[in-house]
Amino acid sequence: MADRALAGLRVVEFADETASYCGRLLADLGAQVIKVEPPGGGRERHTPPFYRDQDSPDTSIAFWVHNTSKQSVVLDLETVDGRAMARKLALTADVILEDNPVGWMGERGLGFEELRREKPALVYTSVTGFGQTGPHAGYAYTDIVGQAMGGIMTLAGEPDDPPVEIYGNQANVSASIQAAQGTLLAVLSSEQTGRGQLVDVSAQEALSMAQETAMQTWDFQRKNRTRTGARGMIPVDLPAMGVHQTLDGHVTAFVLAPAGAGFPALVDWMRERGMAADLDDEPYASISGELNMGWITRLMSDPAAAQDVLPKVQHISDTVAAFFRTMTTVDCYIEGQNRRLLIGIVSTPKTLAEDRQLRARHWFTRFDAEFLGESVEFPGVPYRLSETPAVIQRPPRLGEHTAAILGALAGQTDVAR
Amino acid sequence: MTGLPLEGIRVADFSWFGAGPIGAQTLATFGAEVVRVESEKHVDSLRVVHPFALNPDGTFKSGYNVSGYFNNFNAGKLSITLDLNSEKGQAIGHRIIEKSDVFVTNFTPRVIDKWNLRYEQLAAINPRIIAAYAPMQGMEGPNRDFLGFGAVLTPVTGISYMSGHPHRPPIGVGTNYPDYVINPGHTVTGILAALRYRNRTGTGQRVELPQLESVATTLGTAVANYLANGIVESRTGNRHPTYTPHGAFRCADDPESVGSNDRWVAIACRDDGEWRALCQALGQSHVAADPRFATAAARKANEDALESTVGGWVRERRAEEVMETLQAASVPAGVVENAQDMLDRDEHLKARGYYVYLDHPETGRSAYDGPAMRLSETPGVLRAPAPLLGEHTMDVCERILGMSADEVADLLAEGVLA
Repeated sequence: MADRALAGLRVVEFADETASYCGRLLADLGAQVIKVEPPGGGRERHTPPFYRDQDSPDTSIAFWVHNTSKQSVVLDLETVDGRAMARKLALTADVILEDNPVGWMGERGLGFEELRREKPALVYTSVTGFGQTGPHAGYAYTDIVGQAMGGIMTLAGEPDDPPVEIYGNQANVSASIQAAQGTLLAVLSSEQTGRGQLVDVSAQEALSMAQETAMQTWDFQRKNRTRTGARGMIPVDLPAMGVHQTLDGHVTAFVLAPAGAGFPALVDWMRERGMAADLDDEPYASISGELNMGWITRLMSDPAAAQDVLPKVQHISDTVAAFFRTMTTVDCYIEGQNRRLLIGIVSTPKTLAEDRQLRARHWFTRFDAEFLGESVEFPGVPYRLSETPAVIQRPPRLGEHTAAILGALAGQTDVAR
Repeated sequence: MTGLPLEGIRVADFSWFGAGPIGAQTLATFGAEVVRVESEKHVDSLRVVHPFALNPDGTFKSGYNVSGYFNNFNAGKLSITLDLNSEKGQAIGHRIIEKSDVFVTNFTPRVIDKWNLRYEQLAAINPRIIAAYAPMQGMEGPNRDFLGFGAVLTPVTGISYMSGHPHRPPIGVGTNYPDYVINPGHTVTGILAALRYRNRTGTGQRVELPQLESVATTLGTAVANYLANGIVESRTGNRHPTYTPHGAFRCADDPESVGSNDRWVAIACRDDGEWRALCQALGQSHVAADPRFATAAARKANEDALESTVGGWVRERRAEEVMETLQAASVPAGVVENAQDMLDRDEHLKARGYYVYLDHPETGRSAYDGPAMRLSETPGVLRAPAPLLGEHTMDVCERILGMSADEVADLLAEGVLA
């Protein structure tokens, strides 16, 4: 196996939903990540979907995705013995990763201050909804609460609908990604200076950057960005802008944006397929020749002209929409991109699994799940490091490494530590 | 001496838009010297889009330095203007990379080729370089030259299909979401891991972050569910596989909320205990045992009725009051905050000092996102506001590249430093 970027780094993880993805990132990069789990496992082990409908702590796909390449030790932190063992294990770590309510670890003798006294180089990463300090530090948290208070939910969806969360526990994922960066920064520092520290990550703060321009818009202009849905700020559909239906799904187009070949190139394509309809006739031909976002912006600043022209723009939009509906999603995407048109596939889990780019790049991986008697195909890693690749190994069964790790620990004297 | 973890590290930031610059900004915040390479001939589009700072008379300021979109991603960097389409410009670019530890770009593979910035070329100049590439779909592969930016990438990665209310088409999530945390954060994670490896071995490497792969990783559950079970999951709005109720509920309007007065609170009950606590906190204890709602399975089976019941309980209350009441009972609940809330009304964010206010010569005092990772001993710091376009061209040429004033003058006259 190739060298590992985080070889020799031991992480002891006391984490469930919020920080488990952080542990996974570190584990795939080569850290030894020992996940300490309660008897029966935490919430994530009981979250659907399950592999082939086998509802067990070892077969949650949601758990697998955030817990690859780790080892699992079961310890009951509600018992004196469990806490003593956990403390001993924690003191063998270079990094502690945890996502428990503020104060919970300290109550069990596992807080940052207690452990640091014995191990000054320790990096201790806490990932919570709202961070370790401040009036909301004790607030109960789960992903949707983070997305709400992180300012992104208010921006998503149609104005007439309730604000909506982004799929994939993105508050937890974002907090985990911020935590992975913070942890590695602290590791670099600790390895240089011998001094560890606390890394405090709040899911609310972790998402703030994802407000895009909302924060700065308020700061500069005292205006709130609101959710504007499919149409954005324009009262009609713009041609080849936004989500469009195809024969078997959807594509998203941004043909009027500057980067691509532009609207006339789309009309060329429609004409080749006999679908240009009246777009070569006036007034549509002239409008089509000029259509881009700059033209739309100028149009919208002249209300009288806009009122006259916008219905014609809507007609062009309808003609384009009819064209997209004659093609399959994948054909529209590939052919559109081959013509340098800004058209994206609205990927589904199925089209992602079949995506020619992901397949050609061998993004998917496999691990042997001998306890299921099968080899499991699995989504890959976010990045490729040429010398020290991130590698996915099978997520651990609940308590799979308890005996081995606690056994080794029992054999260690305090001096050897 | 700052004592920050990346002190002494120099970053050649050849990136633009969101995903690249944000990552480089994180490196700057934790001590790296970041040289952002730009060009007047093809400015980063974020420099010229909203939101712009206002003049005292309420009109928008203009020019390349007044966009909050750009500024928030580039604090603490040096800016040099350099025409990378010219041979001389490329040579200067290579000199910056020679003097750097980390190179970051999110330009397309085609532009990377044109500017002679491929990893083999950089490693020949500087074998210790950690060169991070964040193209849309990868430096290789059949779709490597596909066009895209955040707005296209969001649907391509699967986020649009999986997010939103089920009765709507996959309209996306209102922002170019992956650009801001997922992609820059993964990029920096890869860079920091590579720095650790270099510290131990002296060896640099290429870090490739195809944005498609980066985001698809975070949607792994849906992808793996299809691979394992053949199930194509789709949008479920705010509903969760097991937690219930789980959603955003409308509260009383707030006339002080600018732009839209509607106010919402997110509520989630992860188990029956939290459900009973919610009922009690809202003065509805008798409903807790209603057979339609008493267990998670029952609540799932009657979720429409559940949501309208809970919705009715909070509709006339202030969102903040609902949040505080439920939180007092340890039920996860939070106001659906807008930017006004986050900057001005959220006492928690204020107490933690999350937003950082910096004096910028053109925008005046303005807000920046602070670092989202709080390191107790080596806290990151935004050392300066975003640079003006080309503000540090002379400094970079003279101090870092060791050019003479005459040399710089010639390059300026030739339009290379532009």
